[in-house]
Amino acid sequence: MIQQLVDGVLVGSFLSLGAIGLTLVMHILRFANFSHAELLSIGAYVALVFDKLFEALLPVFATKIGPLSMDWALVLALFASIGITALSAVVIDRLVFARVREKGGELSMVFASFGMALIIRNVIGLIFGLQSVLYSDEIAFAMVLSRDPLLLVKPDQVFVLIAALAIMVGLHFVLSRTTFGFALRAVAENPALAQIHGVNLKRMIMIVWLLGGGLAAAAGVFYGLSYQISPVMGRDLVLPIFAATIVGGIGSVYGAVLGGFVVGIASNIALSILPSGYSPSVPFLMILLVLLIRPHGLFGEARA
Amino acid sequence: MKKILLTTLLAAGYLALPSGASAQDCTTKIGAVLPTSVDWGRPIAETAQFAVDQVNEAGGAAGCKIDMVLRDTQVDPKVGVDAAKALVDLDGVDVLLGAVSSGVSMPILTSVTVPGDVMQMSCCSSSTAFTKLAEEGKTDGLWFRTFATTAVQSAMGAKIARDKGYKSIAILYKNDDWGQDMARLLAADFKAAGVDVTASVAINDGQPSYRAEVTEALASQPEALYLALYPNEGSSAVREWLSLGGTQDMILANSLKSDEFRDKVGLQYLGKALGTDTASPRVASADAFVEAYKKRFDSEPNGPGLANSYDAAMIALLAMEAAGADASGAEIAAAVPKVTDPKGTPITADTAGFASAKDVLAGGGTVMYQGATGNVRFDKNGDVSAPAVIWSFTEDGIKEDEYVSLEQVDQFIASLK
Repeated sequence: MIQQLVDGVLVGSFLSLGAIGLTLVMHILRFANFSHAELLSIGAYVALVFDKLFEALLPVFATKIGPLSMDWALVLALFASIGITALSAVVIDRLVFARVREKGGELSMVFASFGMALIIRNVIGLIFGLQSVLYSDEIAFAMVLSRDPLLLVKPDQVFVLIAALAIMVGLHFVLSRTTFGFALRAVAENPALAQIHGVNLKRMIMIVWLLGGGLAAAAGVFYGLSYQISPVMGRDLVLPIFAATIVGGIGSVYGAVLGGFVVGIASNIALSILPSGYSPSVPFLMILLVLLIRPHGLFGEARA
Repeated sequence: MKKILLTTLLAAGYLALPSGASAQDCTTKIGAVLPTSVDWGRPIAETAQFAVDQVNEAGGAAGCKIDMVLRDTQVDPKVGVDAAKALVDLDGVDVLLGAVSSGVSMPILTSVTVPGDVMQMSCCSSSTAFTKLAEEGKTDGLWFRTFATTAVQSAMGAKIARDKGYKSIAILYKNDDWGQDMARLLAADFKAAGVDVTASVAINDGQPSYRAEVTEALASQPEALYLALYPNEGSSAVREWLSLGGTQDMILANSLKSDEFRDKVGLQYLGKALGTDTASPRVASADAFVEAYKKRFDSEPNGPGLANSYDAAMIALLAMEAAGADASGAEIAAAVPKVTDPKGTPITADTAGFASAKDVLAGGGTVMYQGATGNVRFDKNGDVSAPAVIWSFTEDGIKEDEYVSLEQVDQFIASLK
């Protein structure tokens, strides 16, 4: 049980990063963005390209960092990926969502996001092939933390958890201590009122996409580091990320963080009770349960 | 559509060829429902037509020329059932060849051929669901297949475990029809071989992580691991397994016989892994088929199910010959043992073989068909067995460690019961 709990926390860390971006977009732009998880794929593949590039250009960086399976090139690639994925999120918004937003309703946006998800997934498949790939072919062996009860943790997972927590803490300070953070929260509360107070809505929307894209890129790279990268990883992750967002309450950044961990832990613990064949149903059950008991999620508020 | 037309044209072309000794005026239709619209399906249909052509050169079966009416299934159960229905109701066939996928063959069997009293002979369906159906008596003895069931694969897994002396094993299986089938068979076979199954865990496609599943298998502390998975989730699960300190003593199903799996996991971790697969028999009749195929099609019979398709067509036509003119589907099905009789006169799988079978059958004798997949013999459920190979990964591909002949496979399966 303790192993499942620890694994759940580790899975939760990248679900949380994905859910933060999704919850902001869903709250401020008021549509369920089914293509959000594809930003994780973009992030993971961009990092893959840069990782190989840096390794080839600067062989010094191809050395492994301590017990981790990642090298310095991947660390650099992570930053490049965050930047490029953030920009591509803005570009996608400009090209597709902004236009649909002007003409169509909420439902049109949802369908547009479905379409976007399919396009991104298949373009990645066309370029990189449908097979899954890895940042490093080495297998990173787990450390035995305890024999009884058996507790195994991989160094990569510890790194991912620490990095994800660091990003979240950083985000917390930005949201709670800066003018930008206040403006963002104001827009989330009430866009019209925020505009009256001189907040530039268009600029805020762009920043929300940058933020969402950047966090998604980090989540994608962390996912790829822990498991493997494949063109369909967005499809596989969209449901857990939605579940995390809904559990946390749409619009709440802290809810999304908590929701990610709750979904991660619940899916892992559920496996010790349910037969493993039913594991894909766990996020669905969580969504149902939360909607029945607390329709606005753990931290969400009813909105007119 | 173009492919169907092409195949039909080809078929028509062969029929127009000047034929052998006795030319008859009558034509008997047999049906074939095969996925001709997919690239690997067309050769299967062409191979069946090849067998029909050879029989026609020998003067046809049961006194008439044979016309194989081919329809496409598109690997879709609905399309397949429609095609089979049309063949049975409109063309009035008593023998139906096909389909390839178990998922297509099954609805055809239950809703078309069994109610219509038509013999169905599949080249390529491997699901043990058919065995179960036959045991329940729901196939009316009308069902046959020339493709070995997953039972061979599972028994070979048990053989490796016993030969290697594993005391306990955990199973990771793909959560689909095939994987669940395998898991059920493996549990029984390992038990019979004296190997304790400590855990049997389903693996779903496209999960973010297989950590929890792998942990469950690992916690049961098995000596070895059996993998009934496909390369994609297989490599993911195995990497997780190894990184958590799981054993490298692994047994792999034929689905993992792929470079993708080897490269993703890493050869250095697969040194102790052994795989199983069914194989073509290493007998003269199988080699003869390869030669005949090369002569006819100018290529190696490398696609899936070609030898099986040839034998399915040939045995069906031999049974028609044995059952005589105007036989019903059930009568033809009942005649199958007469042409696959181990004590019968051996006949080869070609025009001359069919001609000599005609003489023997006319004299009231039985024949032993020696076909492209060896001496085919059906059990009471219409299933066949097959030889197997045990393989392992090497630097540049896959090497064969052991060939297990049909007799050895049968013996081993019998020893498990």
